[in-house]
Amino acid sequence: MKNQFFRPFLGKHKDRVAETAGIDADLEGYLDREEATHQAQSRIQRMAIVRVWRRIRSERLAVAGGLALILVATGATIFEPWVFGRAIDRALLPKDMDAIRVWAFFYFGIILLRVSATILQALVFENLGQRVVKQLRVELYQRLQSLSMEVYDRNPSGRLITRVTNDIQSLGDMFSAGFVSMILNLLTIAGILVWMTISAPRLAVYVLAVMPFLFLSVGYFSEKLRYCYRTARSRLSALNAFLAENILGMRVVQLFGRERLHLERFDRLNSWYIDAQKNTVRVFSLFVPTITFAQGLATTLVLYFGAGEAMRGEMAPGMLVAYFTYIGNLFQPMRDLADKWNIFLSGMASAERIFGLLDWKPEEGPVQTFTDPVAAEPYPELRGEIVFENVWFAYEGEKWVLRDFKLTVRAGERIGVVGHTGAGKSTLISLLLRFREPQRGRVLLDGRDIREYDRRRLRASIGMVQQDVFLFSGSIEENVHLWRHNPGTAQDLQERLVRLGLDFKQEDFSRELEERGGNLSAGQRQILAFERARTMNPRLWILDEATSNIDSETEHRVVSEFDGASRGKTCFLIAHRLATVRECDRVLVLHRGELVECGSHVELISRDGLYARLYRFQTSSEELETTLSAALPDAAGAHTSPAT
Amino acid sequence: MSQKAPESPQRQVPSMKSSPRTRLLLDSLRKYRGPVALGLLTLLLVDITELVPPLLLKGALDTVEATLGGTGDGSALAQDQATRKLLELALVYIGIAVVQAGCRYLWRVLLIHSSMNAARDMRNQFAERLFTLSQSFFDKRKVGDLMSLATSDVEAVRMALGAGLLTLADAVFYILTIPLAMFWLSPRLALLSFIMMPVIPVFVLYAEKQIDRRYRKVQENFSRLSAIVQEGLSGVRVIKAFAREDAQLGRIRSAGHEHAQSVLSLTRINASFGPGLDFLMSMGLVFLLWLGGPWVVEGTISLGTFVAFQRYIQKMVWPMTAIGFAITHYQKALASSARLNEVLDARSDVESEEQPNLAGAPPPAPHPVARGKIEFRGLDFAFPGSDRQVLQDINLVIEPGQRVAFVGSIGSGKSALLSLVPRLYPCGRGQVFVDDRDILDWRLGELRSQIGFVSQEVFLFSEGVLENIAFGLQDRTVSEWRTQVERSSQFAAVHDEILLFEAGYATRLGERGLNLSGGHKQRLTLARAIARKPSVLVLDDALSAVDVRTEARILSDLKRRPGRNTELIAAHRISTVRESDWIVVLDRGRIAEQGTHARLLASGEAGIYRRFYDQQRLREELEAYIEELDSARTGPEVRA
Repeated sequence: MKNQFFRPFLGKHKDRVAETAGIDADLEGYLDREEATHQAQSRIQRMAIVRVWRRIRSERLAVAGGLALILVATGATIFEPWVFGRAIDRALLPKDMDAIRVWAFFYFGIILLRVSATILQALVFENLGQRVVKQLRVELYQRLQSLSMEVYDRNPSGRLITRVTNDIQSLGDMFSAGFVSMILNLLTIAGILVWMTISAPRLAVYVLAVMPFLFLSVGYFSEKLRYCYRTARSRLSALNAFLAENILGMRVVQLFGRERLHLERFDRLNSWYIDAQKNTVRVFSLFVPTITFAQGLATTLVLYFGAGEAMRGEMAPGMLVAYFTYIGNLFQPMRDLADKWNIFLSGMASAERIFGLLDWKPEEGPVQTFTDPVAAEPYPELRGEIVFENVWFAYEGEKWVLRDFKLTVRAGERIGVVGHTGAGKSTLISLLLRFREPQRGRVLLDGRDIREYDRRRLRASIGMVQQDVFLFSGSIEENVHLWRHNPGTAQDLQERLVRLGLDFKQEDFSRELEERGGNLSAGQRQILAFERARTMNPRLWILDEATSNIDSETEHRVVSEFDGASRGKTCFLIAHRLATVRECDRVLVLHRGELVECGSHVELISRDGLYARLYRFQTSSEELETTLSAALPDAAGAHTSPAT
Repeated sequence: MSQKAPESPQRQVPSMKSSPRTRLLLDSLRKYRGPVALGLLTLLLVDITELVPPLLLKGALDTVEATLGGTGDGSALAQDQATRKLLELALVYIGIAVVQAGCRYLWRVLLIHSSMNAARDMRNQFAERLFTLSQSFFDKRKVGDLMSLATSDVEAVRMALGAGLLTLADAVFYILTIPLAMFWLSPRLALLSFIMMPVIPVFVLYAEKQIDRRYRKVQENFSRLSAIVQEGLSGVRVIKAFAREDAQLGRIRSAGHEHAQSVLSLTRINASFGPGLDFLMSMGLVFLLWLGGPWVVEGTISLGTFVAFQRYIQKMVWPMTAIGFAITHYQKALASSARLNEVLDARSDVESEEQPNLAGAPPPAPHPVARGKIEFRGLDFAFPGSDRQVLQDINLVIEPGQRVAFVGSIGSGKSALLSLVPRLYPCGRGQVFVDDRDILDWRLGELRSQIGFVSQEVFLFSEGVLENIAFGLQDRTVSEWRTQVERSSQFAAVHDEILLFEAGYATRLGERGLNLSGGHKQRLTLARAIARKPSVLVLDDALSAVDVRTEARILSDLKRRPGRNTELIAAHRISTVRESDWIVVLDRGRIAEQGTHARLLASGEAGIYRRFYDQQRLREELEAYIEELDSARTGPEVRA
């Protein structure tokens, strides 16, 4: 244990810390390759710097003001020890009592100036940084929001979320904590060096002699530290991946009696990560003393030679005192520099990812609708006649989900859509809403190619209710009208919801939902989703398993409300339960992207095909359920409705 | 604050209220008290040597002053002496710099490494506890929450033990030693320098409180912003479908604005804190010059002493800031520590403390193989923390060698019943027996090793296919594994397909590995269970994604499985159920019917099993029709 503390981290030791090396074969699966192979690409980073600068450029005035304040702060920092030293030379040594008061006052002034300039520049830059970050966040979000659904299906939303939250945050940190302090530090160092050289060139030589060595070690250590941080990070992500997987699969681990073994593996990963962390500490612990030693060395030289000069009268004693302070002021920022540099680099890495995302192409369409979207007006006079003209669609390659799909829907027709998972039902919706574009063929709405419509206005004309209802944080009211400006009165909403069988008190509407409606039942959520669509007064309805979780009694109410809202409008009803589509004008039976049967309920039953068989199976299932309920009419406390 | 040192007898402190919160903090470091004590000692050494440099400057300046003032006859000799004096001072200075550099490296490594070791132990302890906790714990906790305990909360405690402890010690040593040196040099000047001192704690406390309040506000706003971003992006389909991009953007904009406002309000305090403190300390310098200067002129205080004071005052700035910093760390760590203790104090509800599975000695290698008789006696069951009876009055005896099928709709209690056999959930004494022995009397590991349990949800690990199937084989060599694994994957009818994978049995699975179909995954988990040669096999709807014909083949093959005894199968398919020795129909937690397939069918039109049979027949008819449809279709790309 002990000798580890003294182990030099250079040379051979380097291999031991290689990011991914040293992990045992049985744990390799937990390494995040992407993280591990992520290299600092300086070219792209340089581009990121340029792009960050472009954003700040419009804030030139603030930047100039902030820089001016930094200059004042640096100037005062440099001047302050000089004033103290001069006070010794001009007042204390000549024994001039009056001058002491003047110099003390002067000294107080310069301190006040330094402190206030330091505070002010921080405020100016933080203000600027927050403005830029705020703007960038909105821009980034706009871009993300304008991407096509295809992008969302390909990228886990978690990664995109991280860009808008953490990466933007780290860019902000880079700006305020990294970049600006780095400038401040560098200016201070340069200023002191220049000032020392001007005021006492001979003494400055001793300090300057230490400098090259110091700059080299700062560069060396910051590179080293960055490498260490990255190693630790990738090892931590392996550790986390292992732990998360084990928590998820705990049942399996325990059933197979592997607890001990997995604990032992966790321990190995844990130690492996801690090793990387310790290595970081070792590097850092070498770095700090290196700087302080250099400082000690410089002070020693100044002490010996400077005091010698002072004795010979070649130098004022006050200046010697100032020099001691200068050396302290010179080395403090050096210590910070490595840290700041790393904040800067990680901010740059974030910037790179953010700008990468900003380059993604949005859904085609007029650009301004996405860069500054306004409320989309629905098309007022859609009749709702829909034609699928030999449509072919595949999510990838040649795996056709829709194959040469042909369908004509008359305006006002009510169409039921039935089929197994993967039959192509949801694809039809995606095409209608233009979440996806067909590879071949086209979709016509009122005789016009659907691509000629404005996407957002088209979507605003279609009322969609889905099985899984997504609720947002906020109140019921906000969730129903989705932050519309003129939502109508709460009383109105209450009446409409009561008719749908949802009995909330009026004051509940504006109350924030708990955990995004997690305490509402699936059926209640579906009713809210139905109302959400109805308030849009859509010209066209799509109901995707919209009543699957609503109990049958309430379902009647919802259906009759729906009948009222959809009179004369084209409707698509996608359903698992065939009872839902019984009343439709036509039922489409899809199987693997093809229309295998089409007709009214009665027609399809008499055809004795897929629909008829599905229907018979479902009827018998329902019979089974009723038998079960009959068998045990009063099972105590059992509420096992099939809906849950 | 100083009793935070690990040696302090915290246990005997009478106020037990804070004790459980601090317990983890102190316990975790106790093991490393050697290095910690050594580290603190070196730190103290450095801080004491820190007192010397100002004295050296004083020496140098006094020498200079003396030579300047005493220019007379023997000046050459005096100069010579003075130079020697300066050389001595310089040598001491460089000597101190060397000692300090060495000690600084030492204490940093000693203290921070100890905190890291403590964090590692804590994380291990945490994982160990997780591995012993039962399903009911994991049903209640989100994975994300547990993960953040293991990462950010452990890290918060570590920061307090490492950086927190060392800055605190450093600051305390400074505050204790520097004023002493100052008073020793000149009590008058010391009093003068400390005029502003009483103001500083007030300032620090006030600022800390403000910073804390505003920081919390920032955190709050940030998580609100994140929540809106998150729901906007995960609900992007809804936003787009309703063309409400503008409204969502407005929400982001206003949340972002609020966040920025709170950051700025934090910055106003934060940016003023350091410089403000600096200002207060610098006021000491102003007083030193203004009021102490005349004393130098009068000659009552030497120039060297005056300069030494300047240095000391400058040194006092850091510890003042540091204490606030340490307090923040400590508070955060306390909160984290309390959260961690919640898990560390949790106890498994299926495992008795007297025979822990993990902590004790490993279970004896050769288990007596169970005969596989399973009995439920008047079993009532509710999930822990719920008062809804999931199972009621279950009485059932399963003889060794039998295959029993469980039938019932969702929520009938099939899964709950089966999960009690390997004691995934706690049940009462005298209710479940394996080999006529109450399962509470079995050693948990031993009981589970007898049971191959395959559940509805498949879970495979990010390892190779081979390692996944050999999951339960602990003390065998790899070559032995291989044959065992291949045999069991043949039983699970997945062997041939594994060979078609890119790297065969070496193919890596999991998030970053090969993505398998549901049927493949189910058969792999079956193979994994069989590989252990359990005497009891429990299949909880485990082959639902496997096609009918393959399932039938697997089930008939399983009868020839080595080590086979009893089989408990929950299933929907009639073909699966029909071949069983005994069929149990569950409804709402009770046994509604039981018997052989023929007897249950014969029991008449009204029977549940009869209805179930009809329904499943229609389902199979439907499936057959679909298959027909598929085979009638042409076009090779459909197969893909």
